[in-house]
Amino acid sequence: MEIKYFSQLKSTNQKAKELSSKEAKPWLVVVAEKQTAGYGKEKVPWFSPQGGLYFSIILPKSKIEDLQTLTILAAWISAKVIKDNFNLEPLIKLPNDVLLNQKKICGILTENIIGKDVKSSVIGIGLNTNIEKFPKDLENSATSLKIELGREVDNKKILEQIVKGLKEQLTTISE
Amino acid sequence: MRLHLNIKGKEYEIEISEEEGKIKIKVGGKEFSFGREEEEKTSIAKTSLPKRNFSKKEIKAPVTGVVSKIFVKEGEFVKSDQKVLILSAMKMENEIISESNGLVKEIRVKENQSVNIGDVLIVLK
Repeated sequence: MEIKYFSQLKSTNQKAKELSSKEAKPWLVVVAEKQTAGYGKEKVPWFSPQGGLYFSIILPKSKIEDLQTLTILAAWISAKVIKDNFNLEPLIKLPNDVLLNQKKICGILTENIIGKDVKSSVIGIGLNTNIEKFPKDLENSATSLKIELGREVDNKKILEQIVKGLKEQLTTISE
Repeated sequence: MRLHLNIKGKEYEIEISEEEGKIKIKVGGKEFSFGREEEEKTSIAKTSLPKRNFSKKEIKAPVTGVVSKIFVKEGEFVKSDQKVLILSAMKMENEIISESNGLVKEIRVKENQSVNIGDVLIVLK
């Protein structure tokens, strides 16, 4: 698994898109310890302080319908990793928000560049892992594993499990 | 029709026939085929023109979704690979790029409009 770590990025999706245009290999993972301009759908800001897990993956060229399925499955994979590792009961709010105690814990955004076919794709995942506290405007709608468990978790282990799960699923879908 | 020609002391047998609008001339086992003058001209015209499509070009929705942002205006010239709009579908944001150079003749969608797969989004000429 090829991983590029950054201490800080504006956005891991933005960096992955930039690397993708320079012919970086599929399944390259871009990780940032924090994002200064992390975003979700329609550029809605994603709170990304130190401690959380923020990463984007350059996906292999795939059919658009397979990417759509993968995006939806990414929520299921992330929820499964949370459940299996920490014995928590995450809920998936369709299409692909992951909630814990009715608060958002994980966000997913796939960005594609499409001409006659798919030119490039990146999938970005923000998982609130070791975040101690959220700002007032988010504290009722967001939570983290640290808040729920009362302890820190291993970001690298979670990252590897999610990437592995996505690889397996995309292979299955493409077949 | 068969002919015998003597050129510089050498005898040639020539067979001339017409099949499917083409004239065939056979000389010493070798066959040469000629089309009518009109057809030849057409064929030359076709091959000598650059292979470009001058007709209108349509940018279609590759997936069902909502147009969240349009980056171009009617009358604007777009280049190949230039992003023209964002089409959001579920949790996917699809940056739609133009595959060719052209003038934006018509934008058939508005921001926040839902579109189906295959719908024409932008017409270029």
